[in-house]
Amino acid sequence: MQNSEELKWALLIASMAMLAMAFCMIAFVTYYQKKRFEEEKRINDIEKNYNRLLLDTALNSEETERRRIAQDLHDDIGTMLSLTKLSLNQLSKLVANSGDEKEESIMKKSQSLVEETILHVRRITRDLVPTTLERFGLMEAIEEFIHKLEEDNNLVIAFQSNTEEFPRQGQKLELTLYRIMQELVNNAIKHASCTKIDIVLEIDEEMIGLRVTDNGVGFDPEKIKESNLAGLGLLGIESRLAIVNGTVQYEQPAKGGSSAIARIPVNPASGNKPEPLHPFRRERVNI
Amino acid sequence: MFDIYSAYILTNPISSIAVFITILPITLTITRQAFSDKSLRLLFYYLVAKLIIDLTMLHFASNRTNNLILYNLSIPLFYALLGGMFYFQFTGRAQKIFVLTSIIGVSVFSIWDIFNSNENLSDLNEHRLVLYAKTVEGVLMISLILLYFYEIIKSLEIPNLLTFPFFWVCSGLLLYYSSLIFLAPVLHYVYTWDNQTDLGITEVIPSIFETLCAVLFSVGIYNFSPGSYAK
Repeated sequence: MQNSEELKWALLIASMAMLAMAFCMIAFVTYYQKKRFEEEKRINDIEKNYNRLLLDTALNSEETERRRIAQDLHDDIGTMLSLTKLSLNQLSKLVANSGDEKEESIMKKSQSLVEETILHVRRITRDLVPTTLERFGLMEAIEEFIHKLEEDNNLVIAFQSNTEEFPRQGQKLELTLYRIMQELVNNAIKHASCTKIDIVLEIDEEMIGLRVTDNGVGFDPEKIKESNLAGLGLLGIESRLAIVNGTVQYEQPAKGGSSAIARIPVNPASGNKPEPLHPFRRERVNI
Repeated sequence: MFDIYSAYILTNPISSIAVFITILPITLTITRQAFSDKSLRLLFYYLVAKLIIDLTMLHFASNRTNNLILYNLSIPLFYALLGGMFYFQFTGRAQKIFVLTSIIGVSVFSIWDIFNSNENLSDLNEHRLVLYAKTVEGVLMISLILLYFYEIIKSLEIPNLLTFPFFWVCSGLLLYYSSLIFLAPVLHYVYTWDNQTDLGITEVIPSIFETLCAVLFSVGIYNFSPGSYAK
């Protein structure tokens, strides 16, 4: 009887101890897993923020460099070319007085070449720094970009917006949308062999949507993602969007071609008017 | 007939609840359509087999007939079904081989133990519970659960364990087998016709945790949703 009692208590204590261990184990796994997940999430967030900061810095540097080149082109080469044009004009008068037709013809050709070079330098400068964007906003900048493209290419580019006056957004956001539009249109011209491009800019209370559709050969976005074929252009778009919490989606319209839709949360411009992005001012760009 | 059953259930309420509570996770498996997951499908087969065996044992026990042969035979069957769940949960080849080997090992060992614990196997009236097989099953099952816990901590693939069905299943099994592991070898000597040893409350501890185990299974199955589980 004594042994039976002892056995009963021994079993009870052993079972209770084992159960306590089991409870502790379950609690430990739950707690430890939660802790590790939180830690992992924290590290991921830090990494993500760091990457975003790196990307932001890289893009800022790119814009600063663009501005510096534009400035150098305008201030140095532009000035030199203007002076050359002036000198050629004076020389042209002397040559005209001499009456030598051959010299006159060479002189005119030289003048024409210098004028053409001045125009090229102006165009490159404007391409490097979208001054219209800073001064007048996204819609005007896109219209100007389209106008220039239609002059140079045999293309029909349609642009429409759901608002007459597109509200001004933060400098970074406008520049991001503009660069993405540039990249998508350039991609369509380079790779899609298209004849028509539609650009749609839409804004609602929360989001800004930019849709670029072409009637070219099109591409399978899934295949591009799977085969890691995304070129620097598409990666650049995604990188720019990551900084402003935007997304991009590629579609294949039923009628052919391809369509890209970038969506970015609205970020209205602050009360202070942004400093104009002017190529003629030597300062660092803060986008 | 009903009187016999009700008399038995009233005399042994805790162990009877442990039998009938199995209906809860079975019902939930059907309503939540948890069959789509292979592990939960095996758990469902286990629950159905357990319910059938438990009801048969309850019938025999109510009629004062030795039912221990069913308990003994259920050991390899239950281990195969429960171990099979872990086979589908583990991703490593070594763990899968360990699960398969242990299922075969437990089956062979259980059959040997039945013969070892019963000199005359044809005498079902004097049939005795296995001496080691249930303990071995418990040790292996606890090992599998701990190995699985280690895997989920290492892989960090499950964001919230409390909404992950298999975590609840493992927790239930861990508690049940922990409550049984020290008691299992003693039951070989206790569950006899001429038993003089009274284990008191200790004897019902496994039944209490069997009930808790079924409740935890139910919580796990309730948390199952085919869409989120696939993610």
